[in-house]
Amino acid sequence: MIHALAPRTVVLLLVPVLVLLLAMFAYPLGLVLWTSLHDATGQWSFEAYARLSSSTLFYRVLLNTLEISGWSTLASLVLGYVIALHLARLPPARRTLYLVMVMLPFWTSILVKSFAFSIVLGEQGLVNRGLVAAFGEAARSELIFNRTGVVLGMTNFLLPFVVLPVLASLLAQNQSLYRVAQIMGAGPLRVFWSITLPLSLPGAMAGALMALTLSTGMYITPALLGGRKEMMMANLVDFYTRQTLDWAMASAIAILLLLMSAVLIALMLKARGQEGVTV
Amino acid sequence: MAAWAGYLFLVIPSLIVIPISLNGTQELQFPPQALSLQLYAQFFTERAWWGAAVQSAWVGAITAALSLLIALPAAYALSRTDWRLKRVLEVGFMSPMLVPVIVLGLGMYIHLSALRMVDTTFGIVLAHVVLVLPYTFISLMAGLRQTDPALETVAMLMGASRLRIIVEVVLPQIYGPILVGTLFAFLISFDEVVVAYFLTGPATQTLPVKMYSAIKWEVSPVLAAVSTLLTLLSLATCLAISALQRRAERAARERPTP
Repeated sequence: MIHALAPRTVVLLLVPVLVLLLAMFAYPLGLVLWTSLHDATGQWSFEAYARLSSSTLFYRVLLNTLEISGWSTLASLVLGYVIALHLARLPPARRTLYLVMVMLPFWTSILVKSFAFSIVLGEQGLVNRGLVAAFGEAARSELIFNRTGVVLGMTNFLLPFVVLPVLASLLAQNQSLYRVAQIMGAGPLRVFWSITLPLSLPGAMAGALMALTLSTGMYITPALLGGRKEMMMANLVDFYTRQTLDWAMASAIAILLLLMSAVLIALMLKARGQEGVTV
Repeated sequence: MAAWAGYLFLVIPSLIVIPISLNGTQELQFPPQALSLQLYAQFFTERAWWGAAVQSAWVGAITAALSLLIALPAAYALSRTDWRLKRVLEVGFMSPMLVPVIVLGLGMYIHLSALRMVDTTFGIVLAHVVLVLPYTFISLMAGLRQTDPALETVAMLMGASRLRIIVEVVLPQIYGPILVGTLFAFLISFDEVVVAYFLTGPATQTLPVKMYSAIKWEVSPVLAAVSTLLTLLSLATCLAISALQRRAERAARERPTP
């Protein structure tokens, strides 16, 4: 291109961002790795990882993380798919309007949402009041400071991230497929099962992987909506950092969390790369 | 349909704080017993609260400005070059988005602790700039992709210096994306809680950190007023951004095709 910049200018313009990322991104990450592999005296040591592998607390938290992420991802996938289907069938003008409702939680602070959930799901909250009104006092349920609260809060957070890729996938489908199926005499259920669902799988996969990646690293939602038993990995990192001042353990857990995310992101990129030929 | 339950589920948590914040009694009640603005009065008179809000606004503004100053040259450089490293660098600039926030928070905490920069405004600003950089960068790159390269070529043939070209030819074309990137950066920084929790202290407490402590330890009804104000801020920013984006789309459509 005629207006291309001289290589020296390009380098000059890139210096600020590279310096920033090196000093405040790459170096901190390296520090976490380094801290996880050295003990308090500064000597090389696998002690933190060894202690983790024999720690029941860690295994319980790891299991919590996987279970809570799994349930939240599943819930947001099912509900998100239903919402995306509804959105896909709307005329474009109305769809934009409804999309605002989907994107609203995306823009709202997670503290506001968690706080709102703690009110709505509380013992005297909206949901319980509705349940008691409909089914009597026995229907009053514990919906907060337990796994249910965390999964509900997390699903609310993850939904926009699932709806968008699934919607994109649904909108990209060739409409003539449906016309052909109708002409051939297929009923709506058959059309959904044989055409809509399989073709929307890439979008659903992308959404699910995104949800898993986001949910495994969550901190605020389990901290505010979960009980003591709903500690997730991010909360454990905080516990070791601020409560026991055991930075090596905190770093080791952080590194493991990083590895988990890396695997999920690699899967996500692979899934996107394999998005085959759209008919 | 089930979709409606879904929409309600999505929207209610964000909106229900609004009526609750208008409650006259010192309790978190829905529906509100008596309409009153007393919770807002409390928010604006308690120094701990509005001080934290001011700090968040201050950090957010500096973060947005700084991220723009750093991302703009980089985005311009990458969009005007043919390097094969380009893709690698682009992905590299997105990488803060891919790392779990808690890992970054811990790393920056260890790093800034050694530098005695915890509980400083500069420290939290630096951290936030790293976090918002991918978003500013995406916005700017998208904007630069919409610019007309012919204009720059003509300006260069006319003998304008590169700096003059950037200021008088390129920037006016992308002031929409610049605004979008800046608003995005401000909102993300204003709402950011995990890294701020690690890096701020009593002197530099941001609003989200104060909110988090309040929700965890002393559920005060003022929280409803704070939440509503935050939600209004998010809504305003979101509307501003979509208005800007719609204007950019319209401009792109009306541009004469070469």
